[in-house]
Amino acid sequence: MDLITEFFTQMGASAGILARWDVALALLVGSIGGVLIGAIPGVGPAVAIAILLPATFSMDPIVGLTVLLGIYGSSMYGGSIPAILINTPGTAVNALTTYDGYPMTTRGEARRALSLAYSSSFFGGMFSVAALIFFAPVLAKVAPMFGSREIFLAALLGIILVVVAHRKHTLIAAAMACFGIWLGTIGLHPASYSKRYTFDQSWLSGGVNLIVVVLGLFALSQAFVLLQGDDENVTLKKMKGSFFQGFRELARHPRIAGASATFGVVMGMIPGVGEFTAQFMSYTYAAKTSKRPEDFGHGSSEGLIAAETANNAVPAAAMVPLLALGIPGEALTAMMLSVFYVHNVIPGPQLFQNEMDFVVALYIALALLNVLVVIFLLVATNQLIKVVKIPNKFLGVCILILSFVGVYSLRNSFTDCILAAGFGILGFILKRLSLPIVPIILGMVLGGIMEVKLRSAMARVKTPLDFIDRPIAAILFVMILFVLALHVRRVMLDRKERKAQEWSNSHASTSFETNLSRRKASLLKARGKQVKERRSTFSRRSTDSD
Amino acid sequence: MSEIKHDPNYPKRGQVLFATLFLICATLLLAAIGDQTKWLKGKAFFAQPRFWPGIGVGGMVLFTALHYWNLPRRERRMPRWIREADWFQWAESLFWGVLAGVLALTLGPVLAAPFVFLVATMRISYIYLHKMDWKEAKVWLSVFEWAGWFLAYVVLVPVLGYLPMTLVFAPLLTWRMGYRSRRILWSSVGFGVLVVLVFKAFLQVKIPGALVYEYLPGTIRNFFILNL
Repeated sequence: MDLITEFFTQMGASAGILARWDVALALLVGSIGGVLIGAIPGVGPAVAIAILLPATFSMDPIVGLTVLLGIYGSSMYGGSIPAILINTPGTAVNALTTYDGYPMTTRGEARRALSLAYSSSFFGGMFSVAALIFFAPVLAKVAPMFGSREIFLAALLGIILVVVAHRKHTLIAAAMACFGIWLGTIGLHPASYSKRYTFDQSWLSGGVNLIVVVLGLFALSQAFVLLQGDDENVTLKKMKGSFFQGFRELARHPRIAGASATFGVVMGMIPGVGEFTAQFMSYTYAAKTSKRPEDFGHGSSEGLIAAETANNAVPAAAMVPLLALGIPGEALTAMMLSVFYVHNVIPGPQLFQNEMDFVVALYIALALLNVLVVIFLLVATNQLIKVVKIPNKFLGVCILILSFVGVYSLRNSFTDCILAAGFGILGFILKRLSLPIVPIILGMVLGGIMEVKLRSAMARVKTPLDFIDRPIAAILFVMILFVLALHVRRVMLDRKERKAQEWSNSHASTSFETNLSRRKASLLKARGKQVKERRSTFSRRSTDSD
Repeated sequence: MSEIKHDPNYPKRGQVLFATLFLICATLLLAAIGDQTKWLKGKAFFAQPRFWPGIGVGGMVLFTALHYWNLPRRERRMPRWIREADWFQWAESLFWGVLAGVLALTLGPVLAAPFVFLVATMRISYIYLHKMDWKEAKVWLSVFEWAGWFLAYVVLVPVLGYLPMTLVFAPLLTWRMGYRSRRILWSSVGFGVLVVLVFKAFLQVKIPGALVYEYLPGTIRNFFILNL
């Protein structure tokens, strides 16, 4: 009973933080803006958050964070619209939605697919918020157990997971993470007052600003990609009827929805894992336990539920490592971390202990956001889908104009703009080659955290084993070893498979002689068929019965 | 050969060129580490100012080299006489060996190592760079135009003012992108006005008033500097 009253007093105190007109406005702008941004293919939440970051610095932390969190949480709702209607994911995390959403559209069930996507996203979002509000007291007890060495190990785990998660690009992802770490070290080293990689340039002695890098790599590079590309012709059909039916259909799959939301919450809390792994795991789970696994990828409602529930359960959970430990697990939360830094609030265990109101207020804001977004979408989907028609190159012009606000308003510095343009070109090249960009940002942020925490942790460590003699440090260390071992195993398996493919004798040979002989055989076969046919015309077998 | 060879979504053009350029830059940065960072006496190993840049740059070189090693590559087809001339290959090996030796003797082995690595990288990249890589590089270079537009915008805003410059820039770039319809040109103008009003007038983002605004009469001048 005590727990429940405590819970309600907590909620009351936190709701007080939110009952302000500017927070309400931020909530509205964030939610509707996020849906719009998500619905436009080519503009993701990363672009929007990067552009808005400097503008939020002058606001209250809670207002700024609400806008950014709103965009983060609602963009996936919007992203499912083009994924379902035109087979183009609006944001990167909606890629899995196209697998089952678009086939449903092609058989004339666009409205069913959309309403199912909205309702499962809503369920995922609310489930994770509820789970986290209830777990917050537990987290508040665990968070103080994180000292310097635990935070260092958690950041290390995050970087390793991000690198390993880029399947098939692990090596270059590692190189990019190291690039980020190096970028973060440029400038004056505060502990020893020595310059690092400044090349005697005064504009480098302050270091490379994270926002400039983020704006270049995400916003400007996306503008360049859009300006470089071509416009696509999109045709849309108007949908009739209400979008409420999805909730009823979702209620028939409680197991899949619950499991996917749980995957989303758990994966979101581990830094460096995020939406893709959560989606992958819940989709695989749904396909394996379904009564009709053959439908997956051909318009299965269960597949759609798994994908959309999992990705919307992540944002709330991804805030946990950020708020409790100060460790962002992905690019978007890394950007949000800079909002804290600007206001000299260093998120960490103290934030969870002393300012629980603030944390719970953020979660309540997220819950309100989900409600707002669903109401907005249920009413305005038919008007909203028109944004899909904005031509790509024009969108590129718009992003370029907006990026200027982001970079220039930071310090009114021209060198920042040149630097951002440089990073924009680098980001463009990486996107063209489909190489990973996120490790650069995480390397930059987590590298800085690791440097500080390792230094203070090593001051109290005599032998290497001292480093992991506390329970949480030991658990984290074992997790790191486990992840590395898993990765090594997978690399070995891939290698084995590749070798098997290379040595198998059933593949199409590429050698010139084999091709010649194959060609000869096929020509002879065709010739033989022709001859046979000609001969058969003279002595055609009778098929009549009489 | 490579883990990415069979992926149809993975573009091969430009990969070798990017790996080469990135590896060269990383090697040069690694070569500069002694000059650009300090190793302080009496400080713990993990607190050294050189420790984390070392991890960053060292990791860049190591992982990019491994990535390069792992890329799907096609060897350049040399002229026939080179392929058949044993003596040429011997002579070339000898030449690189001598060069490495001379570098090591003059610069010292530690300083020479990155340069030998650099030369080796360039020699190997000569073998594996393909015509398609250069075609891709042309696309990369074409982006400099858009970067130039952006920087021109940045230079001109403090002179001409945020609102006037945006009102010129947005339709001009839209025109450059090949749009001629009146509707889209006007919507670009509208978008520009909207951005200026939201960010400068409403959110009061820091963008300095323009030089041109100084010539405006009193009250209008203040209004322009503050809001547009």
